[in-house]
Amino acid sequence: MRDFLAGFGLELRIIRAAPDAFIPLVTAPFFALIFLSIVRQSGRPDLQADALMAPVLMTLWWIALQHAGNLITGDRWQALLEPLIATPASLASVLLGRITALMGFGLISFFEVWAIGELVYGVSIPFEHPGALALTFLVTAFATAGTSVAFAAVFVMSRNAYTFTNSLGYPLYLLGGVLVPVAILPGWIQPVSSGIFMSWAADLLRASLKAPPIDDLWQRLGTVALLGAVSFVLGRLILFHVMQRMRAKGELAAT
Amino acid sequence: MGTPAVEVEEISRVFEPRKKPEVVALDGVSLTIPPGEIHGLLGPNGAGKTTLVKILSTVLLPTSGRARVLGMDVVDETKAVRPQIGIVFGGERGLYWRLTGRQNLEYWGALYKLSARETKERTQRLIERVGLAERADERVETYSRGMKQRLHLARGLVGDATVLFLDEPTTGMDPLAAREFRTLIAELRDEGRTILLATHDMMEAETVCDRVTLIDRGKVVATESPRTLGRVISRFQRIDVEGVDGPVLDEIRALDGVSSVTVADGGARIEVDEEGATLVVLARVVEAGASSVKTSLPSLEEVYVQLIGDRGLEL
Repeated sequence: MRDFLAGFGLELRIIRAAPDAFIPLVTAPFFALIFLSIVRQSGRPDLQADALMAPVLMTLWWIALQHAGNLITGDRWQALLEPLIATPASLASVLLGRITALMGFGLISFFEVWAIGELVYGVSIPFEHPGALALTFLVTAFATAGTSVAFAAVFVMSRNAYTFTNSLGYPLYLLGGVLVPVAILPGWIQPVSSGIFMSWAADLLRASLKAPPIDDLWQRLGTVALLGAVSFVLGRLILFHVMQRMRAKGELAAT
Repeated sequence: MGTPAVEVEEISRVFEPRKKPEVVALDGVSLTIPPGEIHGLLGPNGAGKTTLVKILSTVLLPTSGRARVLGMDVVDETKAVRPQIGIVFGGERGLYWRLTGRQNLEYWGALYKLSARETKERTQRLIERVGLAERADERVETYSRGMKQRLHLARGLVGDATVLFLDEPTTGMDPLAAREFRTLIAELRDEGRTILLATHDMMEAETVCDRVTLIDRGKVVATESPRTLGRVISRFQRIDVEGVDGPVLDEIRALDGVSSVTVADGGARIEVDEEGATLVVLARVVEAGASSVKTSLPSLEEVYVQLIGDRGLEL
């Protein structure tokens, strides 16, 4: 737990000190405006709430890929990875702490899009099931953090991690049902989407903004959490093997 | 003797870079450092110093051989080794530049399982100890190179390590700061810590180290105290004389075991390269009425050049 908290505290301080960390929070309101404009132009006011949720999920994904996914790579290039490995701390726990801080930071985008919807178009977020909404965001943030550990472990093996992170965003927005429900994607894609926790999370978020009772809430929340946990365990495993490989090959320090 | 602080047995490390021939960084290195010793690891660039330090700090695996820190294997018992060691790598990187010096230390302290209170107290003590108190709350990116080095050292100490590995720790420090650093190293030894100091600074090694291992091209050339190393090549002793005439110097130049006679500033330096030649030379210069005679052992730098060779920039 101490390692987790050490990572959490470190990342909060880095966020405070680095203005570039705020970029996702700058783009989220713009995405909200774009999506709101599209659904209003299409005469679908029933989709306005969905249009406001998409930028929040996109912000979490963006942070997972661009920031969290590159944490180890960044430490490696700054010669911080070797001293970190040489401490008694668990790298995976420190990393999870750092990523969790990033996710918490990303959730600020929810309040941004809420405000922008109200201020620009007078659109409110319909809090039909506020408890479910809050729980879904929380579990989604943790699942994204778990998945980011896997990203970070995989990306550090590549010399061109930024190319991956740049190109992975939009396919994941699509497959994760962030922009449109998975149900309207072609049938052959849907089984792939069901393996991505974000598709479950996105559906649940949309359901929690609508009046009808949410079917199988706990089961669906559990699926999001389970898929996130599986990603974390897998990421931890990959991380262990990647670090062993780097110790063996002498690649912990980038030159 | 109890458990050595550091024990290296026939360690080898071969790097296999992509599309390049393999590099033998360490070739059967053995070394034992007793607790409480400041041990210098001296060698030119590319000698294998950093590779050995990295293996001992558990961040690099050896290709073969074994190494133990406080009796614990650095490959099989990393979890037990890591709380006992502190590392200081040279260079400007290795710190979070956008954070303050204090924030950096607090983070590293937390990684050593210190409580929040302990972390804060120890951070403050270390900041004062390395002379960063006035700038502790400024971002590291505003620090000079020497200040970053001092922060590196503080980071190495934040876990209260029993064994410290310092790799070129005074790189970039001004002479005064480097001198203070050496005093600090001696204090750390007095506290019972063992220090392995990798350096190519001869003066540093000679000043602070109890023993020095000369390493070159991945092999140990010699391990001795700086003074004993001088004696190892004592046959290369030199004799500085004054008040001796040219003909006598010519006569000395012709003696067996005299390698050179250099005349300068009213005196002469006679260098010998055979055991016993010193006594013969001394007898002759005294007989010739020399007004001043001084013999000296070579400095560590001269030992280094003698044993490793003067390769200049060649790696």
